[in-house]
Amino acid sequence: MTDWQTQAEGRWSGKRVQRLEDPGMLTGATRYVTDVQMPRMLELAFVRSHAPNARIVSIDLDPARAVAGVRAVLGPADVVDIQPTVDILHLDGALKTPRFTLPGDRVRYVGEPVAAVLADDRYTAEDGADAVVVELEPLDDAKPIHDDIPNDRYFHQAASHGDVDAAFGRAHHVVRRRLHVQRVITSPLETCGIVADYDAATGELTCYLSTQQPHLARAALAEAVGLPVSHVRVICPAMGGGFGGKEVMLPEYLCAAVAAIRLRRPVRWVEDRSEALTAGAHGKEAEAELEAAFGEDGRILAMRSRFVSDTGAYSSGIGAYVEFMVGAFTVPGLYDLGGYAYDTGGVVTHKAPLSPFRGVGMTTSQTLREVLLDDAARSLGIDRMELRRRNMVADGAWRTVLGEEYEPGSWRTAFERALELIDYEGFLARQAAAREQGARPPRLLGIGVSPFVEAAGIGSAGGAGGLPGGSHDNATVAIDLSGRITVALPTFSHGQGHRTTAAQLVADMFGVAPDDVRVIDGDTARTPFGMGTFGSRSGVFIAGTVNRAGRLVRDKLLRVGEILLEAAHEDLELVDGAVGVRGVPSRRIPLAAVAGAAHFAPHVRAELGDPTLTATAFFDPPRPTHSNGTVAATVEVDPDTGGVAIERIVVVEDCGTMVNPMIVDGQIRGGVAQGVGLSLLERYVYDESGQPQTTTLAEYLLPRATDVPPVEIEHIETPSENGTGGIKGMAEGPASATPAALVCAVFDAIAPHGSAIEELPLRPETIAAALT
Amino acid sequence: MKPSAFEYLAPESCDEALAALAEHGDDAAVLAGGQSLIPMMNLRIAAPPVVIDIMRIGELRTIDRGEDWIEIGAGIRMAQAERESGVPLIERALQHVGHSAIRNAGTVCGSIAHADPAAELPAVLLALDGEVVLRSARGRRTVAADEFFNSYFTTAREPDELVVAVRIPATRRRVAFLEVTPRLGGSTGEFATVAVAAAAGRDDAGHLTSVSLAFAGVAERAIRAREAEAILVGAEPTRDAIADAAERAAGETDPPADVHAGPEYRRRLVRALTRRALEELASP
Amino acid sequence: MTAISLTVNGAAHELDVPPRMLLSDLLRDELGLTGTKIGCAMGACGACTVLVDDEPVRSCLMFAVQAHRRSVRTVEDLASPDGDLHPLQTALREHHGLQCGYCTPGMLMTITPLLESGQPLEPDAVREAIAGNLCRCTGYETIVDAVVEASRR
Repeated sequence: MTDWQTQAEGRWSGKRVQRLEDPGMLTGATRYVTDVQMPRMLELAFVRSHAPNARIVSIDLDPARAVAGVRAVLGPADVVDIQPTVDILHLDGALKTPRFTLPGDRVRYVGEPVAAVLADDRYTAEDGADAVVVELEPLDDAKPIHDDIPNDRYFHQAASHGDVDAAFGRAHHVVRRRLHVQRVITSPLETCGIVADYDAATGELTCYLSTQQPHLARAALAEAVGLPVSHVRVICPAMGGGFGGKEVMLPEYLCAAVAAIRLRRPVRWVEDRSEALTAGAHGKEAEAELEAAFGEDGRILAMRSRFVSDTGAYSSGIGAYVEFMVGAFTVPGLYDLGGYAYDTGGVVTHKAPLSPFRGVGMTTSQTLREVLLDDAARSLGIDRMELRRRNMVADGAWRTVLGEEYEPGSWRTAFERALELIDYEGFLARQAAAREQGARPPRLLGIGVSPFVEAAGIGSAGGAGGLPGGSHDNATVAIDLSGRITVALPTFSHGQGHRTTAAQLVADMFGVAPDDVRVIDGDTARTPFGMGTFGSRSGVFIAGTVNRAGRLVRDKLLRVGEILLEAAHEDLELVDGAVGVRGVPSRRIPLAAVAGAAHFAPHVRAELGDPTLTATAFFDPPRPTHSNGTVAATVEVDPDTGGVAIERIVVVEDCGTMVNPMIVDGQIRGGVAQGVGLSLLERYVYDESGQPQTTTLAEYLLPRATDVPPVEIEHIETPSENGTGGIKGMAEGPASATPAALVCAVFDAIAPHGSAIEELPLRPETIAAALT
Repeated sequence: MKPSAFEYLAPESCDEALAALAEHGDDAAVLAGGQSLIPMMNLRIAAPPVVIDIMRIGELRTIDRGEDWIEIGAGIRMAQAERESGVPLIERALQHVGHSAIRNAGTVCGSIAHADPAAELPAVLLALDGEVVLRSARGRRTVAADEFFNSYFTTAREPDELVVAVRIPATRRRVAFLEVTPRLGGSTGEFATVAVAAAAGRDDAGHLTSVSLAFAGVAERAIRAREAEAILVGAEPTRDAIADAAERAAGETDPPADVHAGPEYRRRLVRALTRRALEELASP
Repeated sequence: MTAISLTVNGAAHELDVPPRMLLSDLLRDELGLTGTKIGCAMGACGACTVLVDDEPVRSCLMFAVQAHRRSVRTVEDLASPDGDLHPLQTALREHHGLQCGYCTPGMLMTITPLLESGQPLEPDAVREAIAGNLCRCTGYETIVDAVVEASRR
């Protein structure tokens, strides 16, 4: 679908256009939720459980009320009317865990909110929260976390494709690998937050919310507090990172909303870093096992996987399902498996509930599978990359063993190019020399290579295994009387520069400059319905909706041009902010005049029917896009300390047609950095009694500038067949493949000396212990 | 994460500060740079009813150099000490302390008084056989570093006393400072899993005299590996002698476990860091 | 309440503040300068970094009362009153050294003093200098590139 490019032939798309978002952010003018201030606003602080598993005997709120400056206190009794949050999935056999805003009977994880204190400022609110007396009686750990889920397993699904048992039966060689992927925290720099404001006169609730899904959040808020959706507005002014952690409807948001409604005053809750680490957006934790049956030539006959997500205390959010479902489905990746069986599911535990986190499921499946392939190559005596070559699918469309249809991509080409860039053969020679250093202690060098594929832009046809797909999005394009173009989008950028990308697309469609395009997002009152930003979907949906809505408006503009210029449609073009006759620069009408005519010239208005030059259109992709690439990494391990130094990271990325390569590169670098954190630094620890041990950033280690090496990036562009304009969704692929590459590299470095490691992250202590 | 309320005092002289400490004792926390105290107060781990800010006291903002010693006053920020303390081991160690913005506010004496067993400066003071100068309304005393540090965040300071300075003997010994963190690629900064602050003299024959090996992150306070030191005094620093000393140093420690590392790994780091520090000190 | 006088972005202020009010909250809530962000309240993330007497410090680890008679600069002071970006801001934009923008004010205030010497900076030195500022989006490299280039202009 290429007619989205105007006669201007893509002046802006494909260029490294500087972002429209930047000046506000650079000068401190951009307002995030926590910067929103309203008169008479109250601040909210929570009383949270100190026990992982206890009956609530009593909650005494009176001492908090006695603190000067405390204006109100909410306990469980005050929020019983709020509908419990529950996931909207319809999966056979899924046991639900409806989540009440403040549990009245029982606490299930350390940090679970049990009461809320509202005061003139956050300092006083915390004083009030300290004063509340909560009596807890520890419960037996043998007791099920939810009464309806006797063995804590809320969902389980197993399936088999191809004759897996027979394949294992006749295998020349079987390799098994286990991995415990650690619990991590999404940790955007901006924590969660809400400002809730209720207008008693109109009965309307407005919530400034740091959310990736404004329209879904609006619906969830409305349902929970019992207001019609029409009376709820969600505004996300700017978001300081999301990464999946801001997709959930938190009980804290509901408390703030209810408090605002009852007290008739704006209420603000800002999650502080302690809360974020203790009870905020946790991610990824899973036990995973993989086994593969190989023929004598190293061809994979079949694989079997097993995933168990450690979901935390509630399975009421999407994070409770995506990890183990996507994990199981993405094991095949770019490899041709004769058969594949999976067994996947989740258990509830006395921990904070799991949220989606960039690369859901893929971090686990990618890392486990690539580690297993390296193991297999070593035990089969085949070069690790050669083993991959023998099993990797050819460039082009591909139907996987699970029946997933990959659109054409550059799977092998990207892989081979990455090997060239990292100089695989040269590295092996260096590695061998370093290992043979005789009297001097050997240097431990290692290399890991992880090809990846990433599906994105899933429409209603694409819901895998019962998980809802991305459904559809709408976009509205409008031209106002000043002749400026406005695009309204239901996605919300956490930093991916949607406004710039959308402006570039629109600028090309209408022959204007991106600076002249106004993009509105994050406000449910000013944008049409859509599913928001997650799963690398926004590029595809923005391109698809903007193209469709934009063409409708363009057609109207050209229609006005036909009338005013007395020219035929095919002779007209949009160029330099005007409608004009092609090749006749003197016959042009600026867009403002076109808009003026549409509204105020009676014959034009009558011809158009609707003079507002606005159109809203939806996009529901019949098939998803598939981006791909390869991450290659070389490392050196210090044999004394177990410390890892990353020498080089190379990424070859093919995300189809790139609208803004600068933004794409940024997503790659950010994903790689998160991959460094996931594989080598970050871990959230609970001790055996369920007490968190990593509650500050001194214990939970996020990657710093001195941890992340420069990333060498090269692009291939295989235009998408399914994404408008050839665009493919991207940004989770490199994030998932980087841990795979780094873990493989470290294992390669210690292979001659070390025993198998089954725990992530690969901390220096873990590596040192594995070195014999 | 907002602190509890407190009464704030900002004395302008040492005597005023000491009178306030005499009055409030255990109820008072001393505020210098605040880089250790304020995080604890923000987390409400510490909630002192009284906070005495000593940074307006001019007489504490000095670095005094005598013939045989250097005295760093309680008002000297780490960034300034990093540039001009005149004590090479302190200047080296400070590069590893937190990050530059932390060092712009935090003070040398504040870190000493805080006595975090994983902190760099207590180990440095111990390695250099430094002293802590304490004053109270009752008088003045100096305490050797080894007597000053007791246990986790506890020192010999009485509740009515103020650390007014640290005193470091002048020395011509070579020094080394090495640190291992949980991070990648040998990066500096933030905090140590284990750190070694080392000093050693050499005689004309090339034998080591007066060896100090002090460690952070291996016990409930900074410690000296005295048995390892004893092996080396008077000895030629051969590879075997260094390996023995490293082994002994590791054996002398009984490190605790925390979320970052367990005892065995910490001992391994002691061994490795001792070896590397001694190799550096022994190099021509 | 304690009376303090301080200068913020060149403007003198006489205020009465509770002793426990952090400088970050004075700037954001009392003076409406919300450009300075709070990321962790314990000095680890650097988002709250401002200049106090021309040196970067964590405003979340300073009580407002400690800023008495001192001069504070925040990110709002970098661009010219007409809105022209500071060269470092321009460089960050050109190099895509920001994505969500939340770490950016703290980064800017940490880096600005480094450029004052006029000496060209090496990438490793820049990496060390910003090691105290967490960014979850960019992977840091484009920030380093921007600073290196700005130091050479």
